[in-house]
Formats: sequence, C-alpha cells, structure tokens
Amino acid sequence: MALEFDRSMLGKVFDETPFPPVTKEEILEFAAALGETNPLYTNEAAAIKGPYGGLIAPPTFVTKLRAQKFTPEHLPRFGKVGFDGGRDLEIYAPVRPGDELTMLSTIHDIYEKTGRTGSMYFIVIRNEVKNQKGEKVAVIDHRIMQR
Amino acid sequence: MSIVYFEDIEEGDEIPFIDLFLSKDQVRQYARTAHMYVPRFTDDEGARAEGLPGMIAPGVMSMGLLARMISDWNQAAMIKRIGTTFRSPVLPDRNLHLRGAVTQKNEDDHTVECDIWMENDEGERWVIGTTTVAVPTKS
Amino acid sequence: MAHILDLHLHSEASDDSRAPVEAYLKWLARKRDERPLEGLVLTEHRQFNQAGDYRELEDKYGILILKASEVETDYGHMLVYGVNDDILKRFDFKNVRLPAQEVITEVTRLGGVAMPCHPGRPTIGLIEHYQKKPPLEGVVGVEALNGGSKKGENERVAGLVQAYGYHAFGGSDSHLVSFVGLCATEFDRDIQNIEELVEALRAGGYRPLDFRLQRPQTPIISEVSNNGSGI
Repeated sequence: MALEFDRSMLGKVFDETPFPPVTKEEILEFAAALGETNPLYTNEAAAIKGPYGGLIAPPTFVTKLRAQKFTPEHLPRFGKVGFDGGRDLEIYAPVRPGDELTMLSTIHDIYEKTGRTGSMYFIVIRNEVKNQKGEKVAVIDHRIMQR
Repeated sequence: MSIVYFEDIEEGDEIPFIDLFLSKDQVRQYARTAHMYVPRFTDDEGARAEGLPGMIAPGVMSMGLLARMISDWNQAAMIKRIGTTFRSPVLPDRNLHLRGAVTQKNEDDHTVECDIWMENDEGERWVIGTTTVAVPTKS
Repeated sequence: MAHILDLHLHSEASDDSRAPVEAYLKWLARKRDERPLEGLVLTEHRQFNQAGDYRELEDKYGILILKASEVETDYGHMLVYGVNDDILKRFDFKNVRLPAQEVITEVTRLGGVAMPCHPGRPTIGLIEHYQKKPPLEGVVGVEALNGGSKKGENERVAGLVQAYGYHAFGGSDSHLVSFVGLCATEFDRDIQNIEELVEALRAGGYRPLDFRLQRPQTPIISEVSNNGSGI
C-alpha cells in the first residue's frame, strides 16, 4: 500500500492529556519492576539526603504515560497491527512525587521502509511532557510501526 | 553501587554488563505498573492472535532495563537522552544480556555517549541504542 | 591504501543509526589490533549522502572513507557502490519497491555496481526471493557475512554463492559506533577510491573477514535474580 496521507497534519497538536499527580508508590513500583536499586529511585530517606532532595522517578518513567489518543482519529491505518519500533527520550527535569504532568502529542513524521517482516510504515509521535510549574520534563519520540 | 567520575572514564570502556533471565511474571509485573496490561504483554494465546510467536516484553521495558544498567554502573549518572530501536520482539523465559560501551567523552559538559544494547544467547541484538549521560566530576 | 574495508555501515545520516563518522574512526583507532581496517564505506539507507565530505577525517585518521547507498527492491535490499548523478536520476532511492533487475542492469550500465546484501535474511534477502522468482541476471557478488544477521542467516548464503558462482564480501551493517568493522572484506588489490572499489567488486579477488570475538558459553541463569531485587 503506498504511503499517502495529508501532510498538513504533521506538527499539529492532536492531543493534550493531563495526568493525576504522580505518587511515591508509583515511583517505587516502577523502579522495582525494572530491578532498580539506586536509592534515588528506591529509598526516600536516602534520596532526601541526595542531590535532588527527595525521591525521583527512574529516567524512563515518562514512557508509561499514555495519551488519551494514541494517534489522531483521521490518520489512515497503514497496516493491520501496530508495534513499538523504538523511542527517543530527552530528559530535562526529574519527575517527583506530587508532580502533575501534562502531555502534548503531535505527529512528527511518517515514512516507509522494508524489513524482515515486510513493508513497514512508521508514524513518529512526538510527546512533550510538562509539569505543574510549566517546566519541560521530557520529549519522547515514539516510532509506531504498522504492518 | 558506586559513583564513577568523568575523569576516571575512558572512551572504549565497557559498561559493566547485566546477564538476566527474564521471566513472564516479571514482564507482567512491568506491564501492570506501566498500565500496559494487554494480551500481547501478558498472555501467549492473546499474543499469538496478534501474529506474535508468544507474549513479548514491551519495548520500553527493555529501554528501562538498559537505563538501569547505566544506573547500576554509576549511581550518580543522570541520563539526559536515551534512544533505542526495537529490532526484534523480546520474548521472555530466556537469558538476556544487557551490554554497553562508552564511545565518546564530552569535555565541555561532562557527559559521555554510550552504545547500549540487549542481545540473546546467540548474540542477536534485539534492542540497540545510545544514551548521553551526565556524570559527576572530581573538580 | 586500503585492502581491508568494511563495505556496509550506517552513519547518523541514516534514519536508524546514531553513529557520527568521526566516532567510528576513533573506535577503529582504539580497536586496531582486533579489527585492522583500512577503509569504511558508508551505505546510507534509501539515499546518497551528497553533502557528506569526509576528506579531513580521512587525513586525520588515515582511513579511506567512501560513500554508497543501501536501497530496497522487490528482491530485497542492495548496496549500490559508485553512485553518480546518472544513477540518482534513473532511480528514486526513497522508493522501497525498486525493480531489482533494472537496478542491477542499469547501475552497471551507468558506471556503478549493485550487490545484494544480507541475502539470507527473511523478506529483504535474495534467497527467499529466489525461492519463488527467477534469479536476477548480472549479479556479481553478495554480502555473505553481515554483522547484524541472526543465527543461520549468514550460513545460508554459502549455498547461494556456490549455486550461482557469486563473489562473497562482508560488512558490519553497523548502526552503532562500537559495531564498526566487526565484519569486513579483504581485497587482493589496493583500493584508493570509489572507482577502484567498483572495478574490484565486479572483478573478484576478495573475501569476507570475520572480526567478531568468539562468544563464551553462557550459563543458564536461574530465575532468582542476580541482584536479589526481582530481576
């Protein structure tokens, strides 16, 4: 199937999702699920004495934030199934308990290539995460592969 | 856990590797905490219905494990950027090997660039990527 | 002067690679004993990197750097060496369904050479296509050793090489700095520029080299984690 879509949708925000405040338990659970042992992520008492003055989330914590809309409604489906092709994450500020995060989603790019499993279409969603102070927390480029 | 200073890192250094056995329960535990508790990450039958060989670990779980490898190496390391490509689905119930190497030191901002990857017992690289890590300096 | 070259590499110009060219060179300088490479060929995905100028880096590191492309066809992926304006006018490298026979024939006619890469790989390798379609005319060589291959993919190519009398070469298919030069090609003749590389690839007198370290036997690790924390 040829790659055809409305190019004017590139760069436009298609979703803005606010999240409930991050809890200490969420951070500890996430750290445990990855086997993290760094006290910054696992031990509040020790983390308070550390460079951040408190518990912070492991760096990939923001990848668990799920937008209300995965892709814009009017985006054509290029394949039957979608897979995560990869993520690029830039981190600007740590995530702390109590943070109220908001995520803005745009379509950054759409392209096609062939691989072991055949033709693959990549939709790159750019998610920008801010906290309640308006600080940029992270930017995540999510390459969704459809085939 | 130890602190590794910029001055003590050399280009070409290998990041201390992690060999682990990834069980299905561990994948389910991650899926639960990441609000990804869907068939492809939790149930073999459900995953096969989507054309997969069986349940798989989420790509971001692999990414998180590679980030943990950096944290295990250097308690004071702060990841500024991490990018990974998920080349093949990561199937649980097997050995996985997390590897990394320092490819560049940046004197101006005391960061290091590292290659990071996850491979299976046969040396097939299922996840590859790079990370820019800020590390403490003695001066 | 170069006899040993990595013929298949992706720099940060390729969408899925994160390797600056200079970082590749620094890594090779450090790993000289294990991987004695004298040249690199940057084979960027679906493009020819016209703007890339590596002459200063060549001088600084004493390694030959040549530019080529990896394109996608209806018989799998191919590496195109000797890309020139005529070839770029003839084929849109962004097209992921280029007609393979035309690519082989026309690239040769226009002064280059197109060589199927990772022929043992599912879907994008030549072997699977030869199972259902007539073989291509004019193929002179294939990448028998690819550093990014899965178990069995390189091994499968021996049969193809024997059946069709293709020359065999090697390349790392590196997308990360530290994978440069893990697989390479040794030429009998000295290669000094892209024209000589094209001539040599057409003529023969080369073979793949494997610089990957032998993997130690990995014990099965028990389910109880190695750090006691769950994983």
